[in-house]
Amino acid sequence: MSSENLIVLPQTKQLIGLYSIIRDNATKRGDFVFYSDRIIRLLVEEGLNQLPVEDAVVKCYGDHEYKGSKFLGKICGVSIVRAGESMEQGLRDCCRSVRIGKILIQRDEETALPKLFYEKLPEDIHERYVFLLDPMLATGGSAMMAVEVLLSRGVKMDRIFFLNLLAAPEGIETFQAKYPQVKIITGGIDERLDEHKYIVPGLGDFGDRYYCI
Amino acid sequence: MVTHKGHRIHPDDENTSFFSPSPVPSFSGSGIQSRDNIHLASSLSLNDSSKLTRSNSVATNADIPSYTPPWTTPYIIGVAGYSGSGKTSISQRIIQELNQPWTILLSFDNFYNPLNKEQRQQAFDCEFDFDEPASLDFDLLCECVSSLKAGNKTEIPNYSFVDHNRTGKSSTIYGANVIIIEGIYALYDQRLLDMMDVKIFVDTDLDICLGRRLSRDILDRGRELMGAIKQWEKFVKPNAVRYVMHTMNNADLVIPRGMDNIVGINMMIKHIQNQLSLKSELHLEHLQRLGLTHDLNLSKKENIKILPSTNHTNGVNSILLSKDTDRTDFIFYFDIIAFKIIEHALEFLTEFEENIPISTYGNYTYNGMKSKDEIIAVNIIRSGDCFMSSVKKTFPEIAIGKLLIQSDSMTGEPQLHTESLPKSIKNVSKTGRKIFLFDAQIISGAASIMAIQVLVDYGISVKDIILCSYLSTEIGIRRIIHAFPDVKLVLGKVSSMNSSQEEGLVRGEVVDKIDGYNLEGFKDTDWVFSNRYIDSLYFGTD
Repeated sequence: MSSENLIVLPQTKQLIGLYSIIRDNATKRGDFVFYSDRIIRLLVEEGLNQLPVEDAVVKCYGDHEYKGSKFLGKICGVSIVRAGESMEQGLRDCCRSVRIGKILIQRDEETALPKLFYEKLPEDIHERYVFLLDPMLATGGSAMMAVEVLLSRGVKMDRIFFLNLLAAPEGIETFQAKYPQVKIITGGIDERLDEHKYIVPGLGDFGDRYYCI
Repeated sequence: MVTHKGHRIHPDDENTSFFSPSPVPSFSGSGIQSRDNIHLASSLSLNDSSKLTRSNSVATNADIPSYTPPWTTPYIIGVAGYSGSGKTSISQRIIQELNQPWTILLSFDNFYNPLNKEQRQQAFDCEFDFDEPASLDFDLLCECVSSLKAGNKTEIPNYSFVDHNRTGKSSTIYGANVIIIEGIYALYDQRLLDMMDVKIFVDTDLDICLGRRLSRDILDRGRELMGAIKQWEKFVKPNAVRYVMHTMNNADLVIPRGMDNIVGINMMIKHIQNQLSLKSELHLEHLQRLGLTHDLNLSKKENIKILPSTNHTNGVNSILLSKDTDRTDFIFYFDIIAFKIIEHALEFLTEFEENIPISTYGNYTYNGMKSKDEIIAVNIIRSGDCFMSSVKKTFPEIAIGKLLIQSDSMTGEPQLHTESLPKSIKNVSKTGRKIFLFDAQIISGAASIMAIQVLVDYGISVKDIILCSYLSTEIGIRRIIHAFPDVKLVLGKVSSMNSSQEEGLVRGEVVDKIDGYNLEGFKDTDWVFSNRYIDSLYFGTD
């Protein structure tokens, strides 16, 4: 695993406390959503910390000036439907008018491989930093397909930030082998994948738990 | 005129009224000498308990360090004189000229003993001797003054001359820079004399006093000439000769002819001003020395967390500090920084139940943790309210207490106006609760110190208090830490102390650069750090 492009949120007791709630299969949906949202917010903030800013002279109240920073404002969220959409609000909470594109990838019933069904992305996405949103990085299949879509639209690989709540070592390995310059920002790395390609110990199907199906 | 202004250690305040001159600088209302009217204009800061509550609980004493903030060593001035000698006018003149924050005028009028029914009837018939020392509660006054001198929360009783009883209400005061004790018996009790820094006797001729008293009683208070003369003949003058006159020997300074003695009064005020600026200078020097010691290095102190400088926080700070930001953006980005500060504050909660087996979907087990602490939020109105939206987003069910601390617009003294704290706060230390105290800005630190003191008075251990603030001055933080070394602080942005000494300034900057919390080189005196603008912008009331 490349550590340079793998950013794991500091594993504070607070954070582990939050994960203890959302991993628990006895946790009710309201709490699951609330505490997931808090983790998502931390992921988004970490992502924003990675973005460059430009120097700017800030005129303070009281006519004092100092050399501050200005956001470049060239970001864009891309969520992988459906679970990734749960992270859009967290992004909006930090960047009010951020553009958000969507990609729908589903497993093809015949080939059992992920297949791109739909994409809707901002026209100028190639000029932007992209926050790719998908809560779980298990095998990395759909995320890699999404990155492929982004690259085909001219997005630079080192401008892609893949935000997820939980990742499996196998997934990170495969993903980074193919897209070494994409930055993975995750809240935690679990032990492994089981024979059904679920993350162990994991937290269940994020989309199902978040959207209550 | 106000020479000490340059030496003032806090070039700012929590409230805009702090430095405003005191046009009617009387502590407990304008009709302070009136015995016939309800004289308490200060309906603001009233507390239920009528008796003086001394806050020097065990916890408080243990928490007071070797350093004492200036308001715990108040300069105490005693002003005595016959009735009608003009001592109240002189006291007010002193307050005006000193223009010091946290000046308190303690009038003997609030320390009369409550009367019984019989005495009350006598009082209504002008037959009661109010001018005898026995009519005053010296014990209570001494207790109040020594409590203020110890820097404790002190309840000043209010006395009603309508009922001739304590009103059951009181004013709450924390600490003072200057205390003026004014009354005919101000220089009577040895215990009070021992606490005073300067003792003044206003020696006006008794005939003039009578003239003033008569015109005041008759013109201002609508009393009968005969009654007024009777009272003078029977009580006021005999007591003045018998008890008051010889207290002149206790005075450091006797001012003949009262207010008419302009030269004398000016000399007295000059002297007091010199004494106070000396005190300020000593204190400033003391602070500067402290400021350069290693263990007070803010970024190395374990109980202080300052938001690390990242691209995102730098960008958000630039928006919040810029005068070109509109209110919509300001509110949005303040909520973001508030969220960051709260998340940072959570790192102070370290008591966790560990190794809790959590069964996840798929019947795997996760080694979970659960915080043992419960959190109560307390915000200092109004600036702390800016955090509430973010607090609610982080802890939807949190109990929220509020404290309103403001400087009196007339006297400039800080007062605790309202405290509304959750009942559960009393059991805090027992159940492992933590108090998150919110104030958007720490300027002089006075409001925060007072708020912490209130919580301590509620029996909360200082180490369980986590004070969260966005913009903070170094001087404010140092004061808070000196007053309460164990309090925990989470700060968004910190400015650096201004120093009048070149050496200190340079050294201070070097330290900042190394520690990296104030790379922008903000100074405590910069407008954004010395003015409360955040809540005005956030709530749109500027």
